[in-house]
Amino acid sequence: MERAGHLLKWMLMIVIALISLIPILWMILGSFRPRQELFQYVSLEWHLLFPVKWTLQNYIAIFSDSSKPLGVFIKNTVFVAGLVTLLSLLFNSMAAFAFSKLKFRGRNLLFAVFLSALVIPGEVTMVPTYLLIHAFHWTDSYNALIIPAAVSVFSIFLLVQFFADVPRELLEAGKIDGASWFGIYAKILIPSAVPALITMGLITFLGQWDSYLWPLIVINDESKQMLQVAIATFTNLQSTEWGKILAADTAASVPILILFLFLQKYYVQSIVSSGIKG
Amino acid sequence: MKFPVSFSRQEERAAYLFILPAVISLALFTFYPMINAFIISFKEYSLINPDSTFIGLTNYKDLLADPKFISSLVHSFHFALVVIPVQTIIALVMALLVYKSSLVSGLFRTAYFMPVVIAMGVASTLFKLIYNKDFGLLNSLLHSVGLPQVAFLSDTKLAMYGIMLLAMWKSAGFFMIVFVAGLNSIPSDLYEAAEVDGATRLQKFFKITLPLLKRTMTFIIIITTMDAIKISGPVFILTAGGPADSTTTSVYFIYKMAFQQMEMGYGSAAAFILFVIVMFISIIQLRLLKSDVEY
Repeated sequence: MERAGHLLKWMLMIVIALISLIPILWMILGSFRPRQELFQYVSLEWHLLFPVKWTLQNYIAIFSDSSKPLGVFIKNTVFVAGLVTLLSLLFNSMAAFAFSKLKFRGRNLLFAVFLSALVIPGEVTMVPTYLLIHAFHWTDSYNALIIPAAVSVFSIFLLVQFFADVPRELLEAGKIDGASWFGIYAKILIPSAVPALITMGLITFLGQWDSYLWPLIVINDESKQMLQVAIATFTNLQSTEWGKILAADTAASVPILILFLFLQKYYVQSIVSSGIKG
Repeated sequence: MKFPVSFSRQEERAAYLFILPAVISLALFTFYPMINAFIISFKEYSLINPDSTFIGLTNYKDLLADPKFISSLVHSFHFALVVIPVQTIIALVMALLVYKSSLVSGLFRTAYFMPVVIAMGVASTLFKLIYNKDFGLLNSLLHSVGLPQVAFLSDTKLAMYGIMLLAMWKSAGFFMIVFVAGLNSIPSDLYEAAEVDGATRLQKFFKITLPLLKRTMTFIIIITTMDAIKISGPVFILTAGGPADSTTTSVYFIYKMAFQQMEMGYGSAAAFILFVIVMFISIIQLRLLKSDVEY
C-alpha cells in the first residue's frame, strides 16, 4: 500500500513535469528542424520531438528577413524593458522609502490612496490612457510604453514590506553623521535592500518582456514594435512556416529562461512575499 | 527619540520629494483615466469624430441589450468557472508533490515553473501550432493513442477549452509556488501531534493542511478570479475571438469596440460594467472566505 502510493506519487510527478516541459522542448527542438520535417513525423516516436536533420536555417531566415527583423524587435524590447526596469526601481524604491521610513503628514491617507489604485484594472483605464497618450502625441513613441509603466503601486507595496526589515536606527545613524535624506536613501537603504531590488527588477523586466496588449494599442509603426506583438504577427503571415515561428518563439524565450534559471530564487521570493503578506 | 522641529520639517519635505514621481504618475495614468473612463462612458465618444456628446445612460442601456456583450460576459464567466477550481486543484496537487525542500523536489519545482516564464505571446503562438488539426503535437499524441484528431480552435464548442488549457498550462506553476509557501508555513509539530494520535494521511490533509491553507487559498482564488474574468491575452493570438465569436471574452470585446470600431464611449461603459462585476465578486469572495484561522 505504502509502496504503491509512492509509485503513484512519482508517476504523477513525472507526468506533470512532462506536460510542463514537452511543449517547450517541442518548441526549441522544432526550431532546429527543416521545414518539411515538422509535418512528416506526427506519430509517437523519437523524431516527434528530435530533429532528424539539424539546421540553423530557421534562425538565419528570421534574423535576416528585412521585412520582419526579429533582431530589431528584440533590441526594441530590451531597450524599453530595461529602461522601464531602471526607472521603476528608482521611483518605486523612493516612494517605498518615504512610506516605510519617513514621517510626514498625510502619510497613512496617501498610502491608502495608493493602495486603492491596486483594484483599478488596466483594462478599465485602457481607453482614457490611450486618449491621454494620443493627446501627448506619444503614439508610436516609446514614451507611451515607458512613462506610464515607470511607477507601479504593486511594486511600491512589496518594497514597503521589504524595507520594513531595515531598522530605522540604521538610517538615523546616517542622519547623525550629517548625511542628507537622499544620501541615506542612496548610501544606506539601497545597499541593504539589494535582494529585494533584484526581485522587483526581475518582475518588472519579465512583465515588460511579456507585454502585448498595450504595445498593440499604442505602437503602429512596425519597425518600433515590441517582441510579443511582432511574434503574434508571425503566425498570421506565415502559417506554414512553422520552423520560423518556433525559431522566433525560442529566440524570444531562451534569454528569459536563462535569466530565470540564474535568478530563480529572487523570482520565487517575490511570489512568496506577495502571497503570504498580501 | 525626539528630534528638533527643523529636523522633522526637513524630513517631511524630503518625504514629499521622494513620493512626488509616484504621485504624479498615479494621478496621471491611473486616477485621471479612471475618472475620465467614467465620464466617457456616458458619452458618444469617438476618436474619428472629436465632438463628443453626453448621451446619459444610453451606452449602459445598449450594452445590457447587446447580445454580443452579454455573450462576451458569458464566455468570460465560462472561462473563470472552469479555470478557478481546476487550476487551483492542479496547483495544490503540484505543490503537495514537491513542497518539501530537497534537491529532487527543487528540480521538479523548476520544471513545473518553466511555463510561467514563457511569455504569453510566445505560448499562444506555440499552442496555436500544438493545436493544429493535422500536424500539431497534441493531435499527433491523441492520434498515436488511438483517439480521434480534434480541431481545437475551429470548433465553436471546443475553442474556449483550447484557451483554458493554454491558460492553465501557463499559470498553474505560479500558484503552485504560492501553495508551496503556504504549505511550508504550517508548523510540522501539528503533523507530529496528529501522528501520535494515529491520524491517517487523509485525516491530516483535511483536518490540518486544508484549514491552515485557507489564507493562501483565499489569496489564490481571488487573484485567479480577477485574472480569469479579465482573460484576453491568448484570445488575441489563438482565435481572435472566433470561431463565430465563441471565444470573445469581455476584455476582447472592449478592445474591439474601443480600438477597432473606435466606439470609445461604448467600450468604456463596457469596461465599467466589468469593473463593477469584478469588484463585487471579489468582495463576496472575501466575505465568504474570511479567514479566522490563526496558527
